[in-house]
Amino acid sequence: MSRVVARNEWRRLFAQPLAWVLLAATLAVLAYFFLLTLQGFLGLSPKLAGMPSPPGVTDLVALPLMRAIASVLLLVAPLLGMRAIAGERQSGTLPLLQSSGTGSAGIVFGKFAALCGFFIVLIALALAMPASLAVGTQLDWGRLATGALGLILFAAALTAIAIAASSFTRQAVVAAIAALAIGLVLWMLDAGARYEGVSSSFINYLALPTHLEPFLRGIVATVDIVYFALIVAVALTLAARRLDAERERG
Amino acid sequence: MAASALLQLQGVSRRLAGRTIVKDLTLSLDRGCVLGLLGVNGAGKSTTLRMIAGVLAPSAGKVLFDGRDLGEEPALARRLGYLPETPPLYAELRVDEYLAFCALLRGMHTADARKAVDRVIERCGLGEVRRRLCGNLSKGFAQRAGIAQAIVHDPDLIVLDEPASGLDPVQAASIRKLVSELGRERAVILSTHLLHDVTACCARVAILHRGRLRHDGALADLGGNDVEGESLEKAFFRIASADDAQAAA
Repeated sequence: MSRVVARNEWRRLFAQPLAWVLLAATLAVLAYFFLLTLQGFLGLSPKLAGMPSPPGVTDLVALPLMRAIASVLLLVAPLLGMRAIAGERQSGTLPLLQSSGTGSAGIVFGKFAALCGFFIVLIALALAMPASLAVGTQLDWGRLATGALGLILFAAALTAIAIAASSFTRQAVVAAIAALAIGLVLWMLDAGARYEGVSSSFINYLALPTHLEPFLRGIVATVDIVYFALIVAVALTLAARRLDAERERG
Repeated sequence: MAASALLQLQGVSRRLAGRTIVKDLTLSLDRGCVLGLLGVNGAGKSTTLRMIAGVLAPSAGKVLFDGRDLGEEPALARRLGYLPETPPLYAELRVDEYLAFCALLRGMHTADARKAVDRVIERCGLGEVRRRLCGNLSKGFAQRAGIAQAIVHDPDLIVLDEPASGLDPVQAASIRKLVSELGRERAVILSTHLLHDVTACCARVAILHRGRLRHDGALADLGGNDVEGESLEKAFFRIASADDAQAAA
């Protein structure tokens, strides 16, 4: 039944302004950023022509854009996921789902799937900007693809965290702030270590950029996929357990 | 009879935040019967219904649905329909979209769901608002949409928490009529603090006070030669006020 929950969530998402506003605002900001980097690249290109093996448009335009998408996701995922369960609680619709025999895991997974669908659309639209350069130049499609995969996994992890935060509260804003804080902590976790020049310790392993960056550089490693999958699994399990506990605790 | 009853509550208790809300409640209900759960505010009616609907787990005792434990087989919940105190409507969905979702959620197929939605819209008199957003419904229509949601998948057991609350007398009467109709082939349990709800559509009445079951029997059994409503009122007031006197003493 989580498919029914997902479809309903998707429909409700686009029946409300929040998703549209987030989508429009995000794409507007990213488009501006894209045009700036593109202009920078065009300014550089006479110099690049003289280099023996110059960095291409993928390195100088697509890579910075993908990093910008990641930073934007850090903010957008909590905003979109904040209402996932807190909103149901607030509007009194949670009993409908709970008394439907769907089960907590089904409810949580359905919502997760719908929100991931939104981020796939967002990432695809954002990456259509560098892809459009294919009209005039050679693109490294492989790196765009791995970058897209990495960003989707990254968004999935952040969404799962937002849903988990949302399952613990009735106020959506509280969930958004908690999810944002957790996301930022995971993002900057190893900043201190890197500042000290440590780049391969355990704390580096825990941080989000450590696992996102290889995708953006065209490397798909199992360890990175496992890392994101683990975050998703832990966060969604936590959310489902919290819903189960609600039956016991009231 | 007890073994085959559709719904059985066996010594069900529930504590919330350190207070005992429902204590040692034993009750059974079969198809073709409308049971009115009567009690003053705070008597534990809503908590009882939430346990029956599987939204809340009992602290002790068991809720058996067709002889099987709802806590162990959550999928059984598809065979019951539940209207909570506030109708669980998604404000941004149209009424027909919302009802279709509710039908699918309880495991109906798409084609069946469409027919079921048409049926329930007619039955609950939602025809004129079927394309309106749930968030824009008046209180009466919202309540009716809430009932429609609870019966769209043709459940065996219907659990209604104050179905007539906040409605005007005409709307309340039409809801009572609907409930009595539903009770012909299904089991219906509804909570209320209005005596008139009970006399109008229930065959059986259970009176809950301070979380305990104080009376359970056919409406007709409630004493003497009085008109039904009047004797029910007497019984209700006796139960409600006797305890208050006790508590005060």
